[in-house]
Amino acid sequence: MSQSNGNHDLFENLRLELRRGCLSLAVLSQLRAERYGYTLRKALAEQGLDIDEGTLYPLLRRLEAQGLLTSVWREEEKRNKRFYRLSPDGKLMLKQLGAEWQRINASLTEIL
Amino acid sequence: MELLDRYLHAIEFWLPKRQRQDILAELSEDLRSQIDEKASELGRELNDADVEAILKRCGSPFQVALRYLPQQYLIGPTLFPIYRFVLIVLLMGCVIPRFLIWLGFLIADPAHRGYLHMENMWSTIIFFAFFTTLAFAIIERSGIKFEGLDTWNPRKLPPVRDPNRISRLSGLIEIAVIVVFILWFVSMFWPRPVIDLYGAQLTLAPVWNAFFWSYLVLATFNLAIASVNLFRPYWTQQRASLRLLSDFIGGALFCWLLKAQVLVAISTPSLSAPKAAELTNVIHLLMAKMLPWAIVVTLMMLCVNAYRIMRLRCTHLNGSSTGPAVKELSNPMVNGN
Repeated sequence: MSQSNGNHDLFENLRLELRRGCLSLAVLSQLRAERYGYTLRKALAEQGLDIDEGTLYPLLRRLEAQGLLTSVWREEEKRNKRFYRLSPDGKLMLKQLGAEWQRINASLTEIL
Repeated sequence: MELLDRYLHAIEFWLPKRQRQDILAELSEDLRSQIDEKASELGRELNDADVEAILKRCGSPFQVALRYLPQQYLIGPTLFPIYRFVLIVLLMGCVIPRFLIWLGFLIADPAHRGYLHMENMWSTIIFFAFFTTLAFAIIERSGIKFEGLDTWNPRKLPPVRDPNRISRLSGLIEIAVIVVFILWFVSMFWPRPVIDLYGAQLTLAPVWNAFFWSYLVLATFNLAIASVNLFRPYWTQQRASLRLLSDFIGGALFCWLLKAQVLVAISTPSLSAPKAAELTNVIHLLMAKMLPWAIVVTLMMLCVNAYRIMRLRCTHLNGSSTGPAVKELSNPMVNGN
């Protein structure tokens, strides 16, 4: 029983580790078009990548602080929302990371 | 929405001041969107239980706030192994000798074992731990980089040392020291009624003969071990056990000597008889006072010897002198590469 729990915890840790690096790329790719946090989450979830608010918003802030995103507060449907989109640096980074992802994906497909 | 407000208020406490309002506004908007969506899905306004379920899924206020905080640590992952090593060495250096001294007093002089208060030891440990941690935290904060981490060179790494190998130099030094000791010991303390020691005449008790011959045999025995070590410069379990036995006997003899009051009288041309008797008593007293320390040194020597035997036993069981990991890593055939 404890062995099974241990394996489950280990799997969860490794899964999170694997996911962590992919999330930045997924978020950057979805912000080619302007979105606010909630719709971004929905868009990612619809494509099979669930991300909770506690992970997404700190990530958005970090990417913005790194100069990859720009944001603006705007009223929509009578509520203030913060809209994000890729900055010019973010576009370049997305291109580079996308290429790197393709390379890793191809290698892993080969290996696995 | 009272629950939502309370939730956001609880998060607010932990958030960094400068971004607090910004983060809360964004998080609040997200949660309100979730609530609106759920309400339209159910076709009614949400009650407290529905809101509670959404908030619980979001995580505890502290956990949510924690994700917005920068990663902070007192001592970072690069420095931490060095910090831990230094701390262990300092604490061991502080605790073990003190324990051995306490043990020495407990065996030889129980009346004075309170000489080492345990409270003092705790304050010493806290002192060392605090200042070591403080020093490393300052190094971490100051961002000092260790040059060795970037400019290291494989050729400058220390060679793999075999702890069971005895260097020729140490073997030669040991032989020289024992030979000099034997010559000095025999010339100075050969049993006779009165021993002349640098101008002072010492009269020793008859028990001195036993000490003299025991020490002479022991020194000769150690000379034999040292000679074998010189030509077979590698500790074996047998030789290490013999060394342990010899050190144990030597230590026990020395402790006995300190208590045996072997000095009967001392006389020098410039010393009156009462003063000489007083000096003899003082020497006896000093020797008795040295006993706990002699026990400590003996225990330390025995610990070193016992550790050597254990290491040899482990080496024997592993079938390698330098450790299996080093051998296997340096030999690609073992790895099957």
